[in-house]
Amino acid sequence: MTRSKRIQPAIRPVDLGKIPEARLFTLKNGVPVYLINSGTEDLVRMEFIFSAGKIKEDRPLLASTTNMMLSEGSKKYSSARLNSLMDYYGAFYKLSAERDKAGISVVLINRYLEKILELIREILFLPRFPEKELNALMKKRLSWYLVNCDKVHNIASDQLFESIFGKRHPYGRKLVPEDFNNMNPSLLSDFHKKYYSPSDMAVIVSGKIRKGTASLLNNYFGEMHPGEVCSEDPVYRMKSLARKKVHKNKSGALQTAIRIGSPTINKRHPDYPGLKILNTILGGYFSSRLMKNIREDKGYTYGISSSVSSLDLSGFKVISTEVSKKHTRKTIDEIYKEIRLLQKKPVGRDELRIVRNYILGEMVRMFDGPFAIAESFRSVWEFGLDNSYYYRFVKKVKTIDPDEITALAATYYNTDELHEITAG
Amino acid sequence: MIKYYRFCLENGLRVLVHEDKSSPLIAMNILYDVGSRDEDPELTGLAHLFEHLMFGGTSRIPDFDKPLQLAGGENNAFTTEDITDYYITVPETNIETGFWLESDRMSDLDFSQKNLEIQKSVVTEEYYQRYLNQPYGDALLLLRSLAYKVHPYRWPTIGREVSHISNVNLNEIKEFFFSHYAPNNAILTLTGNITPDRAFILTNKWFGPIGKRNVKQRKLPKEPVQKEERRMDAERDVPASAIYKAWHTGPRRSKDFYVLDLITDLLAGGESGRLYTKLVREKKLFSEINAYITSDIDPGMMILHGRLMKGVDIHLAEESINQVIRDLKKRYPSDNEMEKVKNKFESSVIVSNSNILNKAMSLSYFELLGNTDLINNEIYEFRKTNKRMVAEVSAKYLNEENCSTLYYKSTRKD
Repeated sequence: MTRSKRIQPAIRPVDLGKIPEARLFTLKNGVPVYLINSGTEDLVRMEFIFSAGKIKEDRPLLASTTNMMLSEGSKKYSSARLNSLMDYYGAFYKLSAERDKAGISVVLINRYLEKILELIREILFLPRFPEKELNALMKKRLSWYLVNCDKVHNIASDQLFESIFGKRHPYGRKLVPEDFNNMNPSLLSDFHKKYYSPSDMAVIVSGKIRKGTASLLNNYFGEMHPGEVCSEDPVYRMKSLARKKVHKNKSGALQTAIRIGSPTINKRHPDYPGLKILNTILGGYFSSRLMKNIREDKGYTYGISSSVSSLDLSGFKVISTEVSKKHTRKTIDEIYKEIRLLQKKPVGRDELRIVRNYILGEMVRMFDGPFAIAESFRSVWEFGLDNSYYYRFVKKVKTIDPDEITALAATYYNTDELHEITAG
Repeated sequence: MIKYYRFCLENGLRVLVHEDKSSPLIAMNILYDVGSRDEDPELTGLAHLFEHLMFGGTSRIPDFDKPLQLAGGENNAFTTEDITDYYITVPETNIETGFWLESDRMSDLDFSQKNLEIQKSVVTEEYYQRYLNQPYGDALLLLRSLAYKVHPYRWPTIGREVSHISNVNLNEIKEFFFSHYAPNNAILTLTGNITPDRAFILTNKWFGPIGKRNVKQRKLPKEPVQKEERRMDAERDVPASAIYKAWHTGPRRSKDFYVLDLITDLLAGGESGRLYTKLVREKKLFSEINAYITSDIDPGMMILHGRLMKGVDIHLAEESINQVIRDLKKRYPSDNEMEKVKNKFESSVIVSNSNILNKAMSLSYFELLGNTDLINNEIYEFRKTNKRMVAEVSAKYLNEENCSTLYYKSTRKD
């Protein structure tokens, strides 16, 4: 090979460019529908979102069980029939109940749009919550839960959330086997009536949106009485546990799961973009400080990462890894060492340049294709923000300087406030 | 319709290009025709360990990841029994950095002892994290060793045992590289915002100068036909017992492949699959159950496994599975059920093809199979199957004497 051909190609600046905007369309009864029209295949994805997450439940499992039971039988269809129709029309649907939001998303081929809308309406607004199906579901959920209790990474994560958000708060409380006996159809019906109301629904449609999609949505969802927005939500106090270090024993475990974290700011806070950049340097990509040190230099783990996430009422950051028992202490020490280093020594120019470009590349990927655009849209929309968040983020990525990063590390990674959880 | 161009360099590198202007990115996928089936039985896990070493840098580019991250790119890789696949996605303007990096590590690697030692340790932790320290994590490893006696599919990609990984030395690594990593043993696919002309020019510039290598000829032992049922019991401290079953099937290219694929969809495609409907929903014997084909290039397996509900007798649970299987052979599925699984297959292909990286991976793999047109024809191949074929193929493969069964028994008292 000749020398000249091996010269590294010039790297051109990476830029996000203009983000495709979602177009707002309002159904006759006021339900907002956001349309993101692009894509190469004849597919659409529809997401129906409600503020019906865990934060609204007055007992553990109520939000997720209500959500999972939506497709277990409706006024017109049995659960078996609903599912076989969904499959017959080649649709992939997913019910989900997160901490704040809950709902359903479905990916489908355009030619079956009308059939699927009819099924979604049955699922969302006409569920029956049959007792037999509920009992079967709770038994299944208990057995899934018991398997999860055997995984060190679940044990550690559950403990971390309890430690940072408190034993009683829905963001933090841990499940116990008895919780699986506490569901009944009328609880679910009540929760459904309160929180799955058209007045609180939003729809995000992405993909190749055919003409007529909006009017079909109106036919199926625009005629419904919007209902009332529930105003008597349960009230919880968020309080971290005083004890910062917790070890959960799991006999016979070959590895220890480590979680180090704390509550933090969310997307609405002006420092959030800077904190995300700091997090990337610490453990947010393959060449992060933690990966370089603990995996690529010491070989203690298959993977280590740190993340910062937003919730409606808070946010949290967490460093996660699994290591052989004998390396547990050394790994934890190295994690703190890396945090302190970020607080003391400004990040070098070369490293910052890599991180900048890497994040900008990630942002291009976040808007590659209609479904990715829809996810990115949703993740600002649910905080009452819009694409200006991303433009601010890009600006911060391009302009942040090393001293600002050092200051953010001092403010947001106060090691006295970090909870240290081990399971194994 | 996915339009692609195909060409081959003088050194034997096969190249596929599919332009998709709707994306700001380019996906670059390199498939090497080497997997764990090419390993020495006493040195298993090498292909996968090697995949890790491919990120260790070369004498010219000491860090693989940094220049790519600087270009806004992201990369990863995976190893299977049959192939090792490396992929990158990068903003269109910086694709040449991808060419520079991938052609460099194809020409030569920096085989440092330190890097080898660290990656051995990383892979050992991966072995623990993904298999040995997970409930049920070793079940499929046991099932594999029960179903195959001779063929290299008898060990998993991660390796037969941890000690194989710790025992690898640098010479074995070097030999593995030069006998498997070569332009004439690779398929390069580019999808996304790239014209075929640009792809052609860049591929020639960067990969053209790499010489052909002597790739080790593949001579794999043939797995003898299984003549009687095989059974194994394992006792583990897990919350519930589980059953694992494997039947030998044909190779990926056999005419039965799509029928078998359809059979697993009848059994376990979505919540309306037969196993879920009958055994989870109606009889409440299992908390979860699944079935799939391994899609291996050499004769593979159909695998079925389920976790039992508390208090269910394991023999009764197995009998209930057998009943579902017997029914497949005896009674034709309804037209409606056939149409359902075909529609679902069609949408899964369309969903997969809505992503440039998936398209790049599929194109590379179908090229390796010698039938690149499958990217567009797979749906028709699947549609061609009929209910008579379902009964015939079930009768041909899903028999007791062709089956290996693992009882994964819970020892937990409560």
